This record gives sequence, structure tokens and C-alpha cells, in this order.
Amino acid sequence: MVTPKTQDLPPPGGYQKIPFMRVPAKTLFNGFQIIGAYIGITTFAVYIYHLTNKQIQREEVEMRSARLALMPMLIAERDREFLKQVRKNRDEEARLMKNIPGWVVGTYYGEPIYKTKPVDHFDDNSLSWDDLCVHSDYRTQMIRQNFHLWN
Amino acid sequence: MKQFFNKRLDSKNAREKFLEKEMATFQHELPTEEELTVPEVNLSSASLRAGAFHMGKYCEHQNNEFMLCRQELQDPRKCLAEGRAVTACALEFFRKVKKSCYAEFTQYTNCLDKSSGDLHFKHCRNTQNVLDKCMLDNLGIERPEYGYFCRAKIHHTDRPAPAPRPKKVYEDATPGLPDDYPRPPAKFGSRLHYMM
Repeated sequence: MVTPKTQDLPPPGGYQKIPFMRVPAKTLFNGFQIIGAYIGITTFAVYIYHLTNKQIQREEVEMRSARLALMPMLIAERDREFLKQVRKNRDEEARLMKNIPGWVVGTYYGEPIYKTKPVDHFDDNSLSWDDLCVHSDYRTQMIRQNFHLWN
Repeated sequence: MKQFFNKRLDSKNAREKFLEKEMATFQHELPTEEELTVPEVNLSSASLRAGAFHMGKYCEHQNNEFMLCRQELQDPRKCLAEGRAVTACALEFFRKVKKSCYAEFTQYTNCLDKSSGDLHFKHCRNTQNVLDKCMLDNLGIERPEYGYFCRAKIHHTDRPAPAPRPKKVYEDATPGLPDDYPRPPAKFGSRLHYMM
């Protein structure tokens, strides 16, 4: 039995077409429109940013204003506490060093800190925090010093 | 110089150096404890902030007087009376508030305290308006505009201004030329010829 040989041929009606043509995306906007939209949106955003910035600045000024309004009262209170502590320190030093011959309170054996300032010179810049705490113990000083970190 | 330096280094250990900076001697006039003890404003941060604007307006004269004194004299001992006036005024203000606007004030304080960590005003505008209205109606204090206390102000005071610091005269300063010494133009022009 011999089967007749059949030739390999295209299907009836021919092969499908090969889609080689470019399919471009649908153009919604042209270049000028896109650039125009960019400029428009950016301008609007800058305007909103400006408004927000102004508001934030205003709020900062308000907070600062409140702080400054309270400042005299707080400074007055602080000054009184400060002077109390200075007096306490001076008395404590006198008590502590009373057996040391030649010791003059507030100086190093009579040698003053400033030679050109008057004897009665005193301002709050000349006494540092460490000086203020010199007779307290280290732990107390550190608790007070780091108090703000616990807020 | 070297000997002097060595002597100083030898004679002082760290503790003594530390003590050396302490400065109040018995020649300093320090106020007594009784002079410094006055009733203080015993309020929380939130309450102080809540009343800050109205208090600043109410006590403006005392505050300015104290700050001017403090700025001019740079000495805490010389501005104690002004400071006492400031604290007394603040106390008086808060007592008045307690008498007439207690509920509104407490509400605003509560809002400030619980709305943010830094007691910001921006979260509490409604309660603030309520308090402002009460302050205006009962105490007659209008809330100043937001930047009022940041502005520089001119304050008229009866306290005489301190004398300006005298100019220092050094004995060993190099003597200058007399004022009428001839000043001919520079021989070769200015070094900065392109500027002058």
C-alpha cells in the first residue's frame, strides 16, 4: 500500500498577515500642552507653598512672642534664685575654708580673678553653671543639668 | 615667664583651679534672703503660656522697665525692685483671671497642654477665641496681634541711664602723629587703584 505524498502548503485562504506596522500610542496632549500644564501646576504649587510658609512663619513668630512676653517674669524669678544661691555658696565657702590660713573668700589666697574690674563687679556672665553648683554633689548637679532631656 | 607658669601649674591642682573661678567675696553687696523671698507665680507651663499674651499686655510697663534695667546695668542685684514689680504684676493678673475667667482659662490651658508637646497655639484657636472674648469683656484686655512682643519698643523711664563706658587709656600706647602733621598725597598712588 502506497500513501500518496502530499506537499506542505499554506492553509486555505493563505497565512495571517505579519503585523509589522508601528502602533503608536494615542496622543492625548501635544508638547506645548504638556509644558504649559507643567508650568501651570508648578506655579500653583509655588503659590500654595508660599501661603503655607507664611502661615508657618506666622505661627513661629506667635510662639516666640509668647515666650518673650513671659521672659521678664521668668528672668526676675531666676535672678532671685541665683542671688540666693550665690549667697549660700559664699557662706558655705567661708565655713569650709575657715581653718585655712590666708584664705580669702571668693579669691585664691587673696588673688582676685579680675585685676581691672572694680571689687564690687558682678554680673551673671561671670559665674558659670559649674561655679553655681560647686558645693552641691555631682549627682544633684547632673539631675538638674539634664532635667530638660526628660521633657 | 616659664618659671611663673611652672609655679602656677605646680601650686594648683584641678580642684583649686575650679574654686578659683568662684567669685562672690565679702566685698560684694549681696541682697539678703528676706529681700529675695517674694510670692512667686506658682503656675504650670501650660497656664503661663495660656496667659502669656494678655499678661504681657497687662504688665507691659513693668516688664519693659525691668528688661531695660537688666539690659542697661547687666547686674541682677540692681534690678531687684523692678523684678519684684514684674512678679507682683503677674500674680495680680493671674488672680484677676482666676476671679473672672477661670473656666475659660482652664479650658484653654487644658487644650494647650493636651494638644501638642510644645504647647503650640495653632491647635487651640476655638478655646483661645472663647478666652479672648472673656478677657475683653471682663478685664478689658485685648489680645495683642501675634508678633506684638517680638517688636522693638521705646520705653520711657524715670531711672537715669548709666554713664557710657569710658574709653580706655593705655599708658604705654604708641604715640601717634599730631593731627596737624602734613599729609601729602601718596607718592605712588593707591594700592587699590581700581577702587579709589
